[in-house]
Amino acid sequence: MVRSLRSFFRSLTSSLTSRHSFEAAMSDELRFHLEQYTADLVRSGVTPEEAARRARIEFGALSSVKEECREAKGMHFIEALYRQWRYAIRMMRKSPGFAATAILTLAICLGANLMIFAVIDSILLRPLPLPEAERLVTIFNTYPKAGVDRDGSSLTNYYERRGRIKAFASLALYRPGTAIVGGPGATEREAITRITPDFFSAIGVRPAIGRAFTEEETTFRTDSVAIITDSYWKQRFNADPNVVGRRVRVDGLSKLVVGVLPPEFRFLSSQAGIYLPLSSRLQDRSQDRRHSGGNSTHMIARLTPEATVAVAQSQIDAHNASVEGESENAKRMADAGFRSLVVSLHTDHVATIRPALLLLQAGVFVLLLIGVVNLINLLLIRANGRGKELAVRQSLGATQSQLVSEVVIETTVLALVAGVLGFVGAAGATELLGILGADRLPLGSNIAFDARVGLVAMAGAVVIGIVLAAPIAWFNIHRPMGLALQSETRSGTASHGVQRLRYAFLVTQIAMAFVLLAGTGLLALSLKQAMAISPGFRSENILTGQVSMPWGSYANVFQRLAFVENVMREIAKQPGVASAGLITNVPLSGNAGKSAATIEGHVLKPGEPPHGIYSYGVGGDYFDTMGFSLRSGRFLTDADSRRAERVCVVDEDIAKRYWPNADPIGRRLWQGFQRPGEASEADLFTVVGVVGRVKQAGLTEDSDQGAIYYPYAHRSDSEAYLVVRTAQAPESLALTMQKVVRQVDRDLPVTDIRSMEARIASSLSTRRSPALLSGIFSLVAILLTAIGTYGVLSYAVAQRRREIGVRMALGAQPQQIRIQFLRLALSLIIPGAILGLIGAIMTGQAMQSILFQLPALNWDVLGGAGSVIALVTLIACLLPSHRAARISPLEALADQ
Amino acid sequence: MPKTADLLPGTLDMLILKAVSLKPLHGYGVLLRIRQISGDALEIPQGSLYPALYRLEQQELISAEWAQSDNNRRAKYYTLTAAGRRRLKDETAGWNRLAAAIAAALNTKPEEV
Repeated sequence: MVRSLRSFFRSLTSSLTSRHSFEAAMSDELRFHLEQYTADLVRSGVTPEEAARRARIEFGALSSVKEECREAKGMHFIEALYRQWRYAIRMMRKSPGFAATAILTLAICLGANLMIFAVIDSILLRPLPLPEAERLVTIFNTYPKAGVDRDGSSLTNYYERRGRIKAFASLALYRPGTAIVGGPGATEREAITRITPDFFSAIGVRPAIGRAFTEEETTFRTDSVAIITDSYWKQRFNADPNVVGRRVRVDGLSKLVVGVLPPEFRFLSSQAGIYLPLSSRLQDRSQDRRHSGGNSTHMIARLTPEATVAVAQSQIDAHNASVEGESENAKRMADAGFRSLVVSLHTDHVATIRPALLLLQAGVFVLLLIGVVNLINLLLIRANGRGKELAVRQSLGATQSQLVSEVVIETTVLALVAGVLGFVGAAGATELLGILGADRLPLGSNIAFDARVGLVAMAGAVVIGIVLAAPIAWFNIHRPMGLALQSETRSGTASHGVQRLRYAFLVTQIAMAFVLLAGTGLLALSLKQAMAISPGFRSENILTGQVSMPWGSYANVFQRLAFVENVMREIAKQPGVASAGLITNVPLSGNAGKSAATIEGHVLKPGEPPHGIYSYGVGGDYFDTMGFSLRSGRFLTDADSRRAERVCVVDEDIAKRYWPNADPIGRRLWQGFQRPGEASEADLFTVVGVVGRVKQAGLTEDSDQGAIYYPYAHRSDSEAYLVVRTAQAPESLALTMQKVVRQVDRDLPVTDIRSMEARIASSLSTRRSPALLSGIFSLVAILLTAIGTYGVLSYAVAQRRREIGVRMALGAQPQQIRIQFLRLALSLIIPGAILGLIGAIMTGQAMQSILFQLPALNWDVLGGAGSVIALVTLIACLLPSHRAARISPLEALADQ
Repeated sequence: MPKTADLLPGTLDMLILKAVSLKPLHGYGVLLRIRQISGDALEIPQGSLYPALYRLEQQELISAEWAQSDNNRRAKYYTLTAAGRRRLKDETAGWNRLAAAIAAALNTKPEEV
């Protein structure tokens, strides 16, 4: 075995390196033999001519002896491959137009597939770049009946669960955020993440330098430590090997660097360069804080090797039940549908984009199918044209396997060239992915065109080569050889089976293009619907920007309020500014959080879930600046923060839910959950105005959660958004905004400065990009279908040239001929359209979940797609039909 | 011309090895030598000689080398390798056993049964 393998490789290498010398030597040797034999015959008295003849006859066919020798030396396989490769190249050279069309078609289809595949591969398929990432899960609280699908996990959850869930090998919390980093005058806002000490061990990463955090470093007095990423270390510390012990200023506080993470470290889509301990006070970990996750703190765990997600889920459920007990609060949470869900970290991270990505892959795969079918039809036509040549070769002894491998090699060569082109093209078009927002997708920065994608490209190309070859090879083998030889034309006769096959392929192609186009139509219409939605405020001419006030200098609310008031006053003075306001969280920023409120006099009925309500603190002229509509009462003003009287503004959803038949003005409510009888009268807020509903989380959200706006003094946060209504293009005031904030506090940068319209546009990018991409795919698909239809019809006309000529000579009118071919076209388009309609309806059903306010069965879209397909294919048929009608009988009959 | 016998399948390789074992030979020489040592009884089909030579060379039972022939022309000479010698020994022994057995079987008389 080893021996035969060795000799195989030797023959392979030797045959590759010395094919030429082998051939020459073999010829020499055989010639020597023949000459010697001839000479011997002459010596025995035969005439030289007769001797040469006898020698040749007795030796046998030189070429077959040579072939047997090659086979004996293991040269035959390479030789055959080489010969067929040369044949394939020769065939391509002979018809460069065909080869170019085929390669281009495949390259475009393959390239588009590779592009989407690269995205899907890096986002959905590849495991997270962490050790044994499949064992990582995330756990979050959900209160579906309160309208809160996701609320992270609380510190209490963490301290209660740690070490008590058997399915978890480790458990950790992390809280992404931002911080002002740097010394006075050189501050920048940076992404940071606060973590519990076991975070890095849970995800399986060790600091490359230094150490992880310790349990002692989780209180506010002992947490002055930081761990930095490799890139932060290189950029800010110049890769100083003695960085441990140096300091970094975060939010005005000096932190001791204790560790540097390894260069390959990457956690989900996090951009954080600095990791800090997630510090807390004991009361933050107490029982009554159990449900205050707030969707900013996330829990992850590493499953033990034997545990599954289901086991972990049941243990979490049991643990929740045991800690919640039978209290009144537990009952209220149960009414809200409370549960803690355990989900694979990877799955959870990419869950939102998974359907859109899979849909795109399906769409682009259909495009590939269309391209392949198109080529099969072209190849079938060409194979038919070579019928006689093949028949002759077969009768001269070409074997079936030779004919098959010849076709396979030719199509595989085509597909491989196209695969390389497609891969290069797709890799070169990565910028296109950036334009489409792919790098902003979760894990989007991982997208790579590497050897893995290249390998898939080559494997795909080989498969396509074989798929392309299959029908042609079948046709070549099963063609009735005798008929081809007898027929007087060069091309031989057309088999009816093959013709039917060609028509069937064309029908499929039309149907698939229909499906793709209808799917695109649904996406586009859905996008249009979403874009047409009013956000509930006037979004034009608004500039927004984010500031975050570090805990160090803004620990109490009066410091924050003073800052806000100063900024508002200063910015309103700037030229070009019409009005300015501030809010803890601007609509459509993508991180709106909900919290509870307690309405005075409203008693929750048994089983009535508490509602999660969007709650904001506002300052300046927020409502006027944003262009909110006032339903009754008044807006909040800056002065409300300084008045003793506590007031608030609610939106119409709140007004409708709690005071459906009464005037909401003058009604009162508390922030958060208040137990009846325990709440203080002094903490009540009086409603002074009702404003219109605005879209909070996204344009396509469809909930009436309601929103309450409090004066900034009563609800503030370290982060805030400035909003400025401008008299000119909003972006032109970006520098002004930064300058004003730096004037008030020279260490505070403004980040994420964007116009409100830009925010709205990017909130729709998960709808826009798929619509745009599938639009491009459909366009290519229609083009391919048109080419395919044109090709098949033209061939039908060319094939029946003589017949048409005869009929015209016998008096048929051009009009009749034209109608005959148009009828043929219709007989293909109509079934294609019907099949496509069925497919499109099914596709619409499958897409329902990602459509916005659209029924899956949309006759406008179906009708539109159908008309486009019918029109394009009909036009593609007109030209060949017209040509048929103009055939001159004389020429057609004189033709060979 | 004496009566020639058809070659039994599988015996060509053995004959070539034997022919080459006596003295290095070129292809045509192998043909002549086999004819000579078989007393003109065995006729090798010329077309199948070379594939057999190439096969044996591939199996490293014989090795080939270009050299001057008697009439001063370049020819490819084949020699037996060590492995070829062993193979020839095995095959000869095997053949002799087979031939003896067949001969014994064919010489059996009725009374010996």
